[in-house]
Amino acid sequence: MNIHAIELTTRDGNQLRFDCTDDQNLLEAAVNAHIVLPAQCGQGNCGTCYAEITHGDFTLGKHNPSALSLEDKEKGGTLLCCTFPHSDLHISLPFNHDRILIGEIKSRNAEIIAIETVGENTLRLELQLAADEDGNSVAEFEPGQFMELEVPERGIKRAYSLSNTGNWEGRLEFLIRLQPGGLFSTWLKEQAAIGQTLLVHGPKGAFGLYESGLRPRWFVAGGTGLAPMLSMLRRMAEFQEPHPARLYFGANRAEDLFCLTELKTLQAELPQLQVIYCVWKPDESWEGFRGTPVDALTKDLAAATVIPDIYLCGPPALIDAAEATARAHGVPHKQILIERFLPA
Amino acid sequence: MFCYQCEQTDRSNIDSGCASAKGMCGKDATTSDLQDLLIHGIEGIAQYAKRARALNVPDNAAGEFMLYGMFTTLTNVNFNATRFSTLLQEAALVRDRVKTGYITAALAAGQIPEELTGSAVWQPAADLEGLLKQAAEVGINAGLEVVGPDIIGLRSLVLYGLKGVCAYAHHAYALGRESATVYAGIEEALDFLSSAPTDVDALLNQSMALGTLNLEVMALLDEANTGSFGAQQPTQVLVTPTMGKAILVSGHDLGDLAALLEQTKDAGVNIYTHGEMLPAHAYPKLKAYPHLVGNYGGAWQDQQKEFSEFPGAILMTSNCIIEPQPQYRQRIFTAGPVGWPGVRHISDKNFTPLIQAAKASPGFKDNVIEKTITIGFGHDAVLSVADKVIAAVKSGAIRHFFLVGGCDGAASGRNYYTDFAEQAPQDTVIMTLGCAKYRFNQHDFGDIGGIPRLLDLGQCNDSYSAIKIATALAGAFECGVNELPLSLVISWFEQKAAAVLLTLLALGVRNIRLGPTLPAFLTPNLVQVMVDKFGLLPNTTAQADIEASLSRKAA
Repeated sequence: MNIHAIELTTRDGNQLRFDCTDDQNLLEAAVNAHIVLPAQCGQGNCGTCYAEITHGDFTLGKHNPSALSLEDKEKGGTLLCCTFPHSDLHISLPFNHDRILIGEIKSRNAEIIAIETVGENTLRLELQLAADEDGNSVAEFEPGQFMELEVPERGIKRAYSLSNTGNWEGRLEFLIRLQPGGLFSTWLKEQAAIGQTLLVHGPKGAFGLYESGLRPRWFVAGGTGLAPMLSMLRRMAEFQEPHPARLYFGANRAEDLFCLTELKTLQAELPQLQVIYCVWKPDESWEGFRGTPVDALTKDLAAATVIPDIYLCGPPALIDAAEATARAHGVPHKQILIERFLPA
Repeated sequence: MFCYQCEQTDRSNIDSGCASAKGMCGKDATTSDLQDLLIHGIEGIAQYAKRARALNVPDNAAGEFMLYGMFTTLTNVNFNATRFSTLLQEAALVRDRVKTGYITAALAAGQIPEELTGSAVWQPAADLEGLLKQAAEVGINAGLEVVGPDIIGLRSLVLYGLKGVCAYAHHAYALGRESATVYAGIEEALDFLSSAPTDVDALLNQSMALGTLNLEVMALLDEANTGSFGAQQPTQVLVTPTMGKAILVSGHDLGDLAALLEQTKDAGVNIYTHGEMLPAHAYPKLKAYPHLVGNYGGAWQDQQKEFSEFPGAILMTSNCIIEPQPQYRQRIFTAGPVGWPGVRHISDKNFTPLIQAAKASPGFKDNVIEKTITIGFGHDAVLSVADKVIAAVKSGAIRHFFLVGGCDGAASGRNYYTDFAEQAPQDTVIMTLGCAKYRFNQHDFGDIGGIPRLLDLGQCNDSYSAIKIATALAGAFECGVNELPLSLVISWFEQKAAAVLLTLLALGVRNIRLGPTLPAFLTPNLVQVMVDKFGLLPNTTAQADIEASLSRKAA
């Protein structure tokens, strides 16, 4: 059994080190060293544990091609959960040190305090974390992160992005699209009620604001991909950050757009925020952008004088198209931050 | 980036200095470069402000901006590039306002306004790439190939000393004290730097002028502190935790602490001091708050471990912040000139979120066996027993005074200061100040005839107390400060210490031991100048330096 030294360098230049044997994947080995890296499925399906290997030999095991593009693979991109080392490795992580948990992922009970329909097949779910052993219920997370929600004794567990910001009241807010026939969706639609308890695991995930960036921030959201964007924009408002910001929010029909009141509130708190509502199949009365968020993004990138940082979240097709147009317009890879909603 | 303003600067290359993607302090290259550009912008303000002041139209609001802006560029203060992009835009606006005032005043006085150049006509670029291009032209090393390292080093001495002066002046301003003379001196120094000076004597003279100016600033700050909160009194301070919810306050800003104490007086939250906030316990108006319960932790370089273990919220009011760890990132807040990307900043003294965070944190669950230290020996306290001190010296009970203080840091060579204090003979008194004290301030030094052997004068800016005490003793013994049985053993880390050092040198104090290493911006030639002109001494070993101090003839 060979032991290899694994050296990680975060986006903000911090370094961490752990050992990994030939037969361990990097994610597990990191956990064994009490280093919890952003990850979700642990099976090569979601792409959350993406990183780039800058030095060393390794095997990349079975994974979902949607979670790791050929182009990324060619420049050393890998998924840590299915990467096995054959030598010492140097790995570049696409996120800051603050996304790495030293210790264990927290699991806590949370009570449903609000559940409401905000759009067709879309719910807003609000949870209140139960007090911990010290009587506190702090919701500590970075904007852009997600939690895994578990229905106790049902074995149903799903990951959802948070749409609010960290707070000391223990509130967690999610925007959830109901998937036809989905186990969690069915439970939400048919059984979930105020006062019920869920088990919450997290926070997790590397997606989030590039805090040190000074460029304009453009957010592209499809459907409930709005959730992490809301979280990040709310953080920007809370911190009164001055970056020019645009949100491209799309739906098939105007009536499918949701959180319009929340977005108006946000614009009042973040005056430099432009919201571009995009409707793919509008009726004649629609006065906003006609087309997809990717169409709007393409149009604006063509006219942009400063290349923005671009944040993408939503279904894979939207992400792929948005990433492609961004790259075509000269946006560097490191300025495109992605959270894919892949099927569980 | 290129930066060598602090003691821990990268010395692994032949040309010492941090010049990679990230400095030793954790500052990224972008932020460091934007700070260089901000200084350039502030020099532009000063060019006009100096001339406007000469025409009796001073702009003290511009002065306040300059203090704040300069303060943000000190080591371990502000790491948030976003804040600098905003400050750069603001600098240009302030400069334009001062320029308009100057031109109007000049024309009114029948003068032709000067056509100023360089930083006076700088306009911030529209995007980051443009700003970084501009920064590359104006960093501390600009013109190195032409003027050489000695001149760059002397310019650095002036700039870094000036940063310290501005930081102290901002502390005074935060307590409502400002001075036209101080603004004028700062404008003069910045205008001087904007001219890219190359004359060695002129640079040395300017550094001494800054030292003199800093004495005035420290007096202003002393007046601000004592005027606001009363004179320091000898006080016992708990250094063990008390059961209950907790907030930890670090940095130097007593005004922020006072505001927080008032906002938490009925909140059921205990307040602890950290680092340079320790002297707060000695001020009557601050210690009157019963929930200012004690001091927690040590010097700044240990904060990542100590803050991780602190079960409450944390407030950084000034230097020194280092990268907040994930364990406390959500419960640390910055105020004043401090900043870190992704960390909540409180700019209006409304500490509600900080208090919320403290209430939502576990707090200390147990009381432990109490341990205390004694602080509060500012100049008022010491000079109130001057007759006892003088008598003890005359009788031989006190053979020598050592001032062992300044900044602490992580370098292993700093154990020298612990050794020095602990090995100082029993018939000597150790005065200390700054955060270097944490290396020995829990050691029991005993007393000499009721005079404690360890006298904690306060924060680094309380060097003013040391100067007042030394001057008073010199008066009592009818000699100069250099003839006193007093040795100064100064540990430096950043630019406030540089300002204090310039003050001591400007006062003619000789034979100061400076360590643990000498500043990287002092080239071998400049070190020789310091040795020849001021008798500056590097550290050797604690034992040897104690012996040398005790056997030293008057300078």
